[in-house]
Amino acid sequence: MDINSRKKELVKEFTPMLQKSTFASKIWMGILVFLVLIGLYAFVVQVTKGHSVTGMRDNVVWGVYIINFIFFVGLSYSGAFISGILHFFKTPWKNSVSRIIEIITVLSLVIGPIFILLCIGRLDRLHYLFIYPRIQSPITWDIIAIMTDLFGCFLYLYLTFIPDFAILRDNADENTPAWRRKLYKTLAIGYQDTEPQRHRLEKITRIMSTMIIAMAIVAYTVLAWIFSLTLQPGWNSTIFAPYFIIAGLYSGVGVIILAMYLIRKYFKLEHYIRKVHFIGAGVVLLVISLLYGYFTFSEYFSRWFSHKTSDVDLLDTLFSRYFWQFIFANYIGIIVPIVILFFKKFRNIKSITFAALIAVAGLWLNRYLIVVPTLETPYLPIQDTRPEFIHYTATWVEWALSFAGIAAFLLFFTLIIKFVPIIPMSGIIDHEREVDTHRKKRPYAEDK
Amino acid sequence: MKRLIYILIVVIFFGNNSIAQEKDSIFDLKNYRTSFSFKTVKQEDNSRLVEVEFLAKNKKDRKDKLPIYDAEIKFYNDETLLGSAKTSKDGIASLVVPEDHTYVTDEEGNITLKAVFEGTDGLDEEEDEVTIKDIFLKLDLQEIDSVKTVKVNAYSIDSLGTEQPVEEATVGFFIQGMLSKMKIEEGDISDGEYEFEMLTKVPGDTIGNITIYAMIQDSDEYGNVSQKQTINWGAGQVNDDTTGDGNKLWSEAAPVWMYVVLTILLLGVWINYLYTIIHLFKIKKEGKELDVTM
Repeated sequence: MDINSRKKELVKEFTPMLQKSTFASKIWMGILVFLVLIGLYAFVVQVTKGHSVTGMRDNVVWGVYIINFIFFVGLSYSGAFISGILHFFKTPWKNSVSRIIEIITVLSLVIGPIFILLCIGRLDRLHYLFIYPRIQSPITWDIIAIMTDLFGCFLYLYLTFIPDFAILRDNADENTPAWRRKLYKTLAIGYQDTEPQRHRLEKITRIMSTMIIAMAIVAYTVLAWIFSLTLQPGWNSTIFAPYFIIAGLYSGVGVIILAMYLIRKYFKLEHYIRKVHFIGAGVVLLVISLLYGYFTFSEYFSRWFSHKTSDVDLLDTLFSRYFWQFIFANYIGIIVPIVILFFKKFRNIKSITFAALIAVAGLWLNRYLIVVPTLETPYLPIQDTRPEFIHYTATWVEWALSFAGIAAFLLFFTLIIKFVPIIPMSGIIDHEREVDTHRKKRPYAEDK
Repeated sequence: MKRLIYILIVVIFFGNNSIAQEKDSIFDLKNYRTSFSFKTVKQEDNSRLVEVEFLAKNKKDRKDKLPIYDAEIKFYNDETLLGSAKTSKDGIASLVVPEDHTYVTDEEGNITLKAVFEGTDGLDEEEDEVTIKDIFLKLDLQEIDSVKTVKVNAYSIDSLGTEQPVEEATVGFFIQGMLSKMKIEEGDISDGEYEFEMLTKVPGDTIGNITIYAMIQDSDEYGNVSQKQTINWGAGQVNDDTTGDGNKLWSEAAPVWMYVVLTILLLGVWINYLYTIIHLFKIKKEGKELDVTM
């Protein structure tokens, strides 16, 4: 196999994805920018008028911002976890999905913490967290964990991009803008795909894949501890850390399936993202949904059985004020994916994507039900006050900023895949090189 | 439960015409019987508290007690009206009769006090009375030969104005705590007197003051009588600040193990990052060398 000509072929195949801008893609980008701008306006309103423009009050001090934060950060950690596993064990079908996962991991880890900044009433005091950190505080642990994880994820993402940057640098045609060529050259850091370089890069990528698995577990555990180390009903649980990790994986796999479906459809990548990938991801989602269902049941059952007054109040709130949300999050959001994914005959691309959509929506709602109803049922209720001070309803400002966060995530995703191919070319080359080597070693193996 | 309380409140609040409307509701007054208990307390300033607790108790479930509030209670001394009060949200109506009030007494000097609820269409009339002898408690706190001694004198005043020692009564002694009173002694008064040696090492408040109560409680003959006095007999509070907090979760410095674990974790991760970055530089260097040779 002539590797250089194969690289050229691949660049030729993927270049239109990187350089061509269709009318639809322009509309898509325009909508996303518009949503981000609305979010920025909402942010200005919130900063100038204060948190009174949100639904957060004395009782419910955390709203959809913190839910989005947990959701995005969970997405990131699960992405890191899955990506690390795929790399570490050299999973055969990793090449088609690994870049999608890596981009999701980094972007959600960039977007997620922005939501926690929106929760802070006095942003002008943000630097105090760094000047006067208390090592005893889970908030400090979370800051350290997120920053360490963010750096690690960026580094890992960059490592996986280097061979493709090198391919794009070496095979740029006359239509490639100068700035792109320059950027590819800088980012490729002189990688020439030689044996020692490849070996070195492979080694550090493996190390980083292990690191990000560990960091994902540590960081998401710490995030769960922000809740479970308090005495609040509904939060004070010993299983919260593993529960959060499983929940993060659940949403992560769900979002990956959704991304796979959309990318496959939009870029017509049926050749690379095949049904077998969806079935593989679907089976993983099935296993995680069973675990997630088990944890959810265990969590609520033990609360109900213990019969502590505060827990009973919380469950009353969940089964009255939040009845349908509770049913969707913890019944439909778990059982429907299980049913779809359990039976072989239901496992096709569309149904698996639908199961993933239900799982993601259910999980977001589950995060909502963990945060808001608990804050609405405190140990010391505020008496004789206005209902809006006790109950939480998100305002347009919060929704605008939430959608702006999702739009920013999608916008960055779209921009990144305009810069590097969504299917790693180096991965295809590596795979073909391996097959070639295998053939050379056992020339008659296939004939038998 | 809350619903029942609301319904009962409605019954009382609208008095005369509410009971007919309530017949259709799930709440049935027949399941409840009323409890009307009256007591009197002679307070420290020698004024007298007269108090009624008015409750509805479930006939089957003894834990199910509902306060009856906004019910007007009239207090009498014999046939003389002392005043009236409405029951609170806890079902309690009370009145304080001033120290200088002259009570109607019988030949033996007994005072008869009566509390009356005149009833509504929903609730029957209620009445309770107590007959007590008006007595006084005098609390005397002295250090006799360096021994802190608590002494109480109990007496009544006869028609001629002379003090007559109380022959027999049980008296309890208490120290006022932050939320309630702690019993430190109990004994029987004989010939109008009782004394005991005060406990040592009672902390007291910030300046060492303690408040001591002498109380006769639920006596058939005298009702409730209370007297108190504050004295600087407490040991004062120990200043915990001098001992320091050490490395606790709530102190300024975190526990040592926390620093150790965090350092190990962070170093473990960041050393790997550093190792990766060094290798990236090596790749860059190799690339440059390849460029030169090419």
